Amino acid sequence: MKKNKVLILRTAGTNCDYETQSAFELCGIAVERVHISVLIENKSKIFEYDILVFPGGFSYGDDVASGKVLSNEIKNKLGSEVRKFALSGKPIIGICNGFQVLVKIGLLPDPELFTQVSTFSHNDYNKFECRWVYLKTGNKINNESNCIWTNKLPTIVSLPIAHGEGKFIPKNKSILNSLNKNNQIVFRYSSKDGNIPRYPLDPNGSVDNIAGICNKKGNVFGLMPHPERYIFHMQHPSRKNFTGKNHGWGKIIFQNAVDFVNR
Amino acid sequence: MEYTANCKIIEILELSDEKLIELSNKSVLSLSFEEMKKIQGYFRKLKRNPTDVEIETIAQTWSEHCKHKTLTGVVDYTELIPLKKGSFDKLPVSSRNKIEFLKDDKDYVQYEKKERTYNNLLEETIFKATKELNKKWCLSVFKDNAGVIEFDSENAVAFKVETHNHPSALEPYGGAATGVGGVIRDILGVGLGAKPLANTDVFCFGDPNISDSKVPYGIHHPKRIAKGVVAGVRDYGNRMGIPIVNGAVYFDDGYVANPLVYCGTMGILPKNKIEKKVIFGDLILLVGGRTGRDGIHGATFSSVKLDKKSDVNAVQIGNPIVEKKVLDAMLEARDLNLFRAVTDCGAGGLSSAIGELGEKIGARICLDKVPLKYFGLSPWEIWISEAQERMIFAVPLGKKDKIIEIFKRENVEATVVGEFTNDNRLVVLYDNNIVANLDMEFLHNGVPKPVRSAIHKIKEEKIQESIKMNYLEISQTLKVLLADLNVCSREWIIRQYDHEVQGQTIVKPLQGNCIEISGPSDAAVIFPYTIIKDTKKGIVLSNGFNPEYGKINVYKMACSSIEEALRNAVSVGGNIEKISLLDNFCWGNTNSPEVLGSLVCVANACYDMSKAFDVPFISGKDSLHNEYSTSDGKYSIPPALLISAMGVIDDVANTVTMSFKNTGNKIFLLGVTRNELGASVLAKIKNIRIGIVPAVYPNESKEIMKKIYLAINENVVESCHDCSEGGLAVAISEMAFSAKKGVQIYVDSVKTETNMLTMSETLFSESNGRFIVEVTHENETKFREVLKGSIFSEIGCVTDDENIIFESEKNKLKLQENSQDLLKIWQSTINW
Amino acid sequence: MFKIEVFTKEKFKNSKGELVLSDILSIGVRTILKVRYSPLYVIDGNVNYSEVRTLASELLSDKITETYVCKKCIVEDTVKNSKRDVVFFDDGEIPPPVGVCSTIKIWYKKNVTDPVSESILKAIKDLGIVKEFKVKRVGKYYLYGKISRITLHNITAKLLVNTLIQEYMVNGIYS
Repeated sequence: MKKNKVLILRTAGTNCDYETQSAFELCGIAVERVHISVLIENKSKIFEYDILVFPGGFSYGDDVASGKVLSNEIKNKLGSEVRKFALSGKPIIGICNGFQVLVKIGLLPDPELFTQVSTFSHNDYNKFECRWVYLKTGNKINNESNCIWTNKLPTIVSLPIAHGEGKFIPKNKSILNSLNKNNQIVFRYSSKDGNIPRYPLDPNGSVDNIAGICNKKGNVFGLMPHPERYIFHMQHPSRKNFTGKNHGWGKIIFQNAVDFVNR
Repeated sequence: MEYTANCKIIEILELSDEKLIELSNKSVLSLSFEEMKKIQGYFRKLKRNPTDVEIETIAQTWSEHCKHKTLTGVVDYTELIPLKKGSFDKLPVSSRNKIEFLKDDKDYVQYEKKERTYNNLLEETIFKATKELNKKWCLSVFKDNAGVIEFDSENAVAFKVETHNHPSALEPYGGAATGVGGVIRDILGVGLGAKPLANTDVFCFGDPNISDSKVPYGIHHPKRIAKGVVAGVRDYGNRMGIPIVNGAVYFDDGYVANPLVYCGTMGILPKNKIEKKVIFGDLILLVGGRTGRDGIHGATFSSVKLDKKSDVNAVQIGNPIVEKKVLDAMLEARDLNLFRAVTDCGAGGLSSAIGELGEKIGARICLDKVPLKYFGLSPWEIWISEAQERMIFAVPLGKKDKIIEIFKRENVEATVVGEFTNDNRLVVLYDNNIVANLDMEFLHNGVPKPVRSAIHKIKEEKIQESIKMNYLEISQTLKVLLADLNVCSREWIIRQYDHEVQGQTIVKPLQGNCIEISGPSDAAVIFPYTIIKDTKKGIVLSNGFNPEYGKINVYKMACSSIEEALRNAVSVGGNIEKISLLDNFCWGNTNSPEVLGSLVCVANACYDMSKAFDVPFISGKDSLHNEYSTSDGKYSIPPALLISAMGVIDDVANTVTMSFKNTGNKIFLLGVTRNELGASVLAKIKNIRIGIVPAVYPNESKEIMKKIYLAINENVVESCHDCSEGGLAVAISEMAFSAKKGVQIYVDSVKTETNMLTMSETLFSESNGRFIVEVTHENETKFREVLKGSIFSEIGCVTDDENIIFESEKNKLKLQENSQDLLKIWQSTINW
Repeated sequence: MFKIEVFTKEKFKNSKGELVLSDILSIGVRTILKVRYSPLYVIDGNVNYSEVRTLASELLSDKITETYVCKKCIVEDTVKNSKRDVVFFDDGEIPPPVGVCSTIKIWYKKNVTDPVSESILKAIKDLGIVKEFKVKRVGKYYLYGKISRITLHNITAKLLVNTLIQEYMVNGIYS
C-alpha cells in the first residue's frame, strides 16, 4: 500500500513549519517540508502528496501586505497545480499566513472560481498580537458543514493567535451570505460562553467574527489561529486538560485530516 | 608590496605623538596613544607605512568591542570600606595606617582601604569561578560566540546576550532590530551552528512621560525610543520565527540619552557540532546579505561617547528574511557536514570574522569578489562594513559545489572570497593587488595591555526611620506601586512579540488561570519537542536586573541580580544544580577610576555569588563608555548588570506557573523578610533616601531553592512566585488577580528578621530569597516535610471572592482590595 | 518613470494613519482630526502601460480595501517635484484623500537598505516582467485639520522622520 504523505510548502520567511510537521507526525503520517523553488522546478511533484499545508510565518517578510508576494508567486508559478490539488478533494490547510495566502490566491472560499473575493486587513487595534482566544465551532457547523478538519470538536475551543493582519473582509454582502448559507464559516471568535466577543477576545475585528473558513466541499480549510501550537495540554496558558486526554484541541484538527486520507 | 589607486597609504612612520592621536580621532579608529605607538613601531620595523585597510583592520581587531581591553586589562583597584563607629580604636596599631578619613555628605567617615592588582580582571573573577567550579556539563565557555552547556546525551544548548545601545539611540527601530539579528547570528555561528529556540530582551529607557525640554538636543524622546525599539525587536524577532519569551524593562532618567538594549538568543545543537576546525586550503565562503556602506565603524564607534555629531554610517538597517533564509539553509548544510567552521559577521565585519577564523593559520581574501549592494566602496569599506545578515564558512574544497547548491536553492547568495592558508598572515587583495599583509600574531596578540586605576567607596547604609502607614495609606501605596513604571504590566510589549512561535513555549511570559487575564511569569520554559523527538526535557530562561540598587550599593545590586535570576528560574521548576549564568555589563566611561571601580566591585560580586551558589558563568559581554556629553556636562549611565540564566529541566511536566489555582489552597512564604527597603520601589515613590539595600544570603536561599525544586518534582506545588520589586504585597496581588481569585493574608505570620518591622515594611520590603508557594490541604504534610529545616511559614489561603486581604492583628490593620481593580491599575500604565 | 500611490478606500480603516494620529495626540496636538497613510512607489525602469497596470492592480494594492493612482513623471527628481506629473491611469474609484490637508512624504536616503523594495523586485519577476527595475518606496501622510508651520515640523521631526537615514518633504496647508 502506498504510504500517505504531507507536503508542507515552505519559502523565505516560513516559520511554523517544524511544529506543523511535528503535529502531523504525532498523528502518524509522514511529512516533508519542501521549498517552493523545488516545487516550481518540478510542478507535478505536488501530486505525490496527500495533504497540502500552507504553514504560518512571514512569507517574504509580508512585505507590501501579508502573504501578498507569496500568493503572487503561487498564482503565477503553481496556480493550476494547486487548484487541481484542491479540486481533487485532497485536504489542504492554510494556517495564519497560509490562510492569508489561500484567500489571496482565491483558493478560498471557492477553488472552482479561483479568484480573490475576500481579503485581510490590519487588526482593528492596529498592532500585532499574540494571545489565546476562544473559538466557536457551533453544533450547527459540526453537523452540517462538510469541513473534514473540524470534526469531533466541541462547541467552544481555545487556540492561540499571532498576527497583525487578521481582519477578514469579504468583498461584499453576498459573499458573506453565501459563506453563511453553505456553512463555510467554521471558526468564529467568541466569548468563553459562546457569545459575541469584545476585544481582546475579538482580537482583530473580523467581519462576522470570522476566524476560519472552508470551501463548500470541506477539504480546503484556512484559519488565523495556530492549531499546531496546541498539541499537548501543557501548551495551554492555564495548563489544564480540556480534552480529557493528554493532547490539545489542535491535535484533533490534524488527526481529522490524517484519518480522512487514511480511510 | 604594490598598492592600487583604490587604497590609500597612511603616513604614520614619521608622525609625532600628537599627530598620532589626531589620526586616531579623525578616522574614528578609537585607538589609544599607546596603541598607535605600538602600530607605528610595528610598521617602522617593516620599514613601510600601512595601508588604510591595514590600519582599519588593526583598529577593528583591537577595538574595545572585539577585544574587551578593559575587562581583560590590568587594573589597580582600591576599595574603601566604611568602618563602624568606634571600631578604629579596636584596630591593631599596625593596620591603622590603612584607614582613611574621607568626607561624606556631612561628616568625616573612617574607611578601611583594601588594594589589589588584577592582571586580567575577567580571568581573575568571573571566569575564575567557572574554572574552579569545573562543571562537566559546561561544554564550551567564554571562548566561542556563546556559552554552551549539555542538554542531553546527544545535544547541547547555547545562550548569548548582546547589547546594541548606541545604534538604538540613533535609530531605535533599525538599531534594535539589528541587535536582535546580531545575537541570532551569534547563535547561528556557535560551534557549527545552533538552531535558535528563543529570544530574550531587556531594555532601559528614560521616563517615557518626561517633558521635551528635559531631553538633550539631538536625542530622541524616551517614548519614541521605547516604541521604536519594541517595534524593531518585534519585527525582526517575529519574522525570524523565534519566540521572545523572557525580558525586562527598566525606566530611569539616567538612560534618557543612552538607552540600553540587551538582546539574547538561546539555541540547540548536537554535541558533536560544538567544535570548529579550520584547515589549510579550506575555502572562505561568504553567505547571506550583500555588502554596503552600512555600519562602517560600528565596532570602534561603540567605544566612542555619543554626542551630537555621531557618525551617521554607524546606523544599520536589517532584513530579517535574508537571515531566515541563511538559517534554514545552513542547518541543512551543517547536518550534511559540508563545512568545518562558521562565524557571523558582527562588529568589524569581514575583517573580524575572517581574522578570527584564520587566527591560528592565516587567510587570503580577494575583496573584489565580495558581492556589493552598490558600486563605489573602497577596499577598506568592504573589509570593515557591518552590513547585516552575513556569515563566513570554512568549506573543504570538495564540498564547495554541494554547499553552494543548497544556499542557491533557498535563494541565498554564497560566494567564495578566499581561502585559509598556513603562513600565519592575513593577506587581503583587491584587483590582484595586495592591500593588506599583516602578521596574525601581531594582529591578535599585539594590543598593548592598558593599566587602569580603579577606586570604589562602599557607602554606609542605615535603616530608615520606621515607616508607619494606616490602611488607607497602605492601600494607596499598593496601587501606586502596581502602577509604577518598573512594576506595572509589560503586556503591551509582550503581546506584540510572537512568544509562542515554534509551539514550544510551555511556560509563557504571561500566564493566568483563564485566557482572558494574565500575570507576569518569573521565567520561561521551552520544550524543544519539535527538534528532539520524544524528549521530556526543557530549557528554562530567566533574568535578574536591578540597577536601582546600584545607586546605593553596586555589590548588592550584582548579588541581588544573580539571586533574582536564579530565583526566577527556580520559581517555574528550574534545578539550581543545572543552571548557568551570563553577565552583561553596561557601564559609563571606565576611564574614570570611580566608574571602573564600581565595575571591579561587581566583578568580584559575580565571583563570590557564582562560588556561593555553585552556579557557573558561561559567557558574557560588556558595553562600556555609555556616556553622553553636552555643553552642560557629561551624562554617564547608572551601572547596569544584567544576569541571564539558562538551565536544563529534566521533565517539563514538572513546571509550575505563578497564578493561584484553587480556592481553599494554603499559601506559604519561604525565606526571611528583613528591613530592606533601601533603593526599593517604595523608597523611590516615598522619596526615602536611606535604608538597607537587600542583601543576599546564599546559604539560606540556596537551601530553599533546592527544596522548592524537590517539592515541585514531588508534585506538591500548585503555583509559585518570587517576591521582587514591590515586595510581598505586589507578588501576592499578581498571583491573585491573574487567577481571578481572592486571597487572605495574615501579615503577622510572616517570618521577619526582628519583630521591629511595621506592617508596611513587611509588605513592601524587597528582601531577596523569598518565594510564595500555593499548596493543597492534601499535600501540606508532604510539603512541610520537604521544607523541613528551612525558614518558612503559612501566611494565608486562596479565596473565591476576588478580594485581596492583608490583615495584621498586631498592628490592628486590615486592608481589602478588589483583585480585578488592582489588575486594571497594573495593566494601564503602559498602554501606548 | 512612474509613481503608483495606493490609498485605503474611505470605508476601511487606515491602520498606520490611526497609529500616527494617536502619536500626534500624545504629544499634545489636538487640532489634527484624521491621518491617512498611503504608500507611494516610484518605479524606475523601462516598463509599458500594461506592465505598470499589472503591478498596481496585482501586486501593490489590495483588490478589496485599496485603490490606486498611477502617474507618469517627467521630472527627474520625482519624489520632491511632482508638479509636472501626469495621471497615467487609476482604477476608476476616486482616491479618498479629498479635502484640504497637509502632506508629509518620507523616504530612505540613497544606499539605506529597504527590504520591502527588495521583495517588490522579486515579486515583479514572479509576474513575468523580466526587466531591470529600481523601486523606491515613499511613505505619504495626509494630515487633516488646522495646523501651524511649527507644529507640522514638530510632528515630522519628533514622530515620523529620522534624518540620519531618511529624507522628507512637507507640504503644509497652514491655518
